[in-house]
Amino acid sequence: MTTLRQTWAVTRYEFRMQIRKRSLWITTATLAVVLTFSQGDRGPRHLPPGTPPREVMASWALLMALLLPIGFGMVLADRLTRDRRLGLASLLESLPIGRGALVAGKYLGGLTSTAVPAALVLLIAAAGETAHRHDPALFAWAAVAFVLVTLPGLAFVAAFALVCPLLTTAPLFRALFVGYWFWGNMLNPDLFPSLTGTLLTPLGDYPATWLMGERALYAGADGWLQFLRPEPGGAAAVAAIALLLALSIPPLALASPLLRRRNLSA
Amino acid sequence: MDIQITGLRRTFGKVTALDGLDLTVPGGMYGLLGTNGAGKTTLMRVLAGVLPPTAGTVRVGGHDLATRTGRLAVQRRLGYLPQDLGLYPDLSAREFLDYVGLLKGLDDTAARRRQIGELLDMVGLADAAPRKLRGFSGGMRRRVGIAQALLGDPALVVVDEPTAGLDPEERIRFRTLLATIAAGRTVLLSTHIVEDVAQTCRDTAVMTRGRVVFNGPVADIVQRAEGVTWELVGQGPPPATGVVVSAVSRPDGTHYRLVSSARPDPRAVPVQPSLEEGYVALMHAGANG
Ligand SMILES: Nc1ncnc2c1ncn2[C@@H]1O[C@H](COP(=O)(O)OP(=O)(O)OP(=O)(O)O)[C@@H](O)[C@H]1O
Ligand SMILES: [Mg+2]
Repeated sequence: MTTLRQTWAVTRYEFRMQIRKRSLWITTATLAVVLTFSQGDRGPRHLPPGTPPREVMASWALLMALLLPIGFGMVLADRLTRDRRLGLASLLESLPIGRGALVAGKYLGGLTSTAVPAALVLLIAAAGETAHRHDPALFAWAAVAFVLVTLPGLAFVAAFALVCPLLTTAPLFRALFVGYWFWGNMLNPDLFPSLTGTLLTPLGDYPATWLMGERALYAGADGWLQFLRPEPGGAAAVAAIALLLALSIPPLALASPLLRRRNLSA
Repeated sequence: MDIQITGLRRTFGKVTALDGLDLTVPGGMYGLLGTNGAGKTTLMRVLAGVLPPTAGTVRVGGHDLATRTGRLAVQRRLGYLPQDLGLYPDLSAREFLDYVGLLKGLDDTAARRRQIGELLDMVGLADAAPRKLRGFSGGMRRRVGIAQALLGDPALVVVDEPTAGLDPEERIRFRTLLATIAAGRTVLLSTHIVEDVAQTCRDTAVMTRGRVVFNGPVADIVQRAEGVTWELVGQGPPPATGVVVSAVSRPDGTHYRLVSSARPDPRAVPVQPSLEEGYVALMHAGANG
């Protein structure tokens, strides 16, 4: 009970501190604007009138997932390391709270603080689409696309962004993360062995493909690790979401001992 | 809560920070004096359950810090102000205290708010409470630090050099505040400043190189310098033997006060030592012994 309450306290305050960060909002707004105005013919703005709202909003969610998570990964990269930098590590270690609760709270707080601007972007997109498609169902589908396409990838990114900087440094992690993002999500698997198009893409390729009824990006395209590239569909989308969530657990489990090690060498 | 430490060792690689330290702290306000690197912070981190000892036993209020349950039991009743405590710049003072209070397990919202209000009053930050911590001065930050330590009415308060870097008036206010809260609890105060201890603590321990070299009433420290404190008026540089504690230029020459086991100069006269000279004598005996 105490652990749950403490986790909740950390979540609330991490969220509060993060959501006040101007960099979070500036990054989100900049990337969203860039994506909106640079989208190609396959982008949601060019979908013909009468396109089902499900496809429109899934397309928006996928478009935003191209770059927004990079910004979120950057912003979240210092959440566990900054306590030491700020001189709060000793105090936190002296409080009667387990490191597990601390890590869980920081994870949930960080995740929700990035989920809010991500959701807001989709809401704005839905509002913009409603202006000329006149279909209130767009908002409902924005919510669905957010949960299926955006959120699992965010959960995955937040876990790694929180923990990896404990192994390297926040700046090095940020550089590696950008490289990974393009290689693991967008690099054509035909050109170079990559994770693009597999179930392991945090971009949300499989769920978006399922919602759109046609290949969103590379989901299921032939390439490296063929067994991770099933035919897209409902089951594959669920498998992709489950895999991303499952993959978020190992880094989080490692966070406590890593944090302990780091604080002891303080 | 009383503290009983026996044979405490803590090493960092090749560095021995605590070297078989024995100490018993009964209660009330207790000073911990020592030079840079003596091991004060390491000792306090061990007491706060932040660092595990390499060897030895530490019991606080009967709880063994080596066990997880013991550590948690102590941490629930502990207030700790670390040396160089940082604060979250993007929270207000009130929010920061609320956060620490929640982590200390103060779950009753109304009671927590009331306590935070009282503590903010006590440390003179009531007006600054809604302001972001990023704009706080060094003294204000220290006061937030002591307020967070006192949240939850701890039985043991461990404060690591709380007066370093404060202006004289603020320093006096701060140590008086510490002395007032010592009623009914144990307050362990570490400092380099002999005067802080002299004004607030009845008993003190003095550490050098990871050991306790003195443990007892503050007044007894003075005795350590009796017979080894000298005054000398000279024109040239200070004598080569002994440690110069003060040097004041006057029309008739420079007045030196120094601590030395042997008469440093034929013209030197023995004088009544001060607390500071007692401390210097002690550190010197420790360094040579
Ligand atoms: N995390 C650490 N890693 C390596 N060495 C350490 C560590 N912490 C302390 N030490 C070493 O242990 C010794 C005691 O340090 P400590 O900080 O406890 O001294 P202190 O009495 O608090 O000094 P000061 O008055 O300067 O704060 C020093 O030699 C220091 O270099
Ligand atoms: Mg210290």
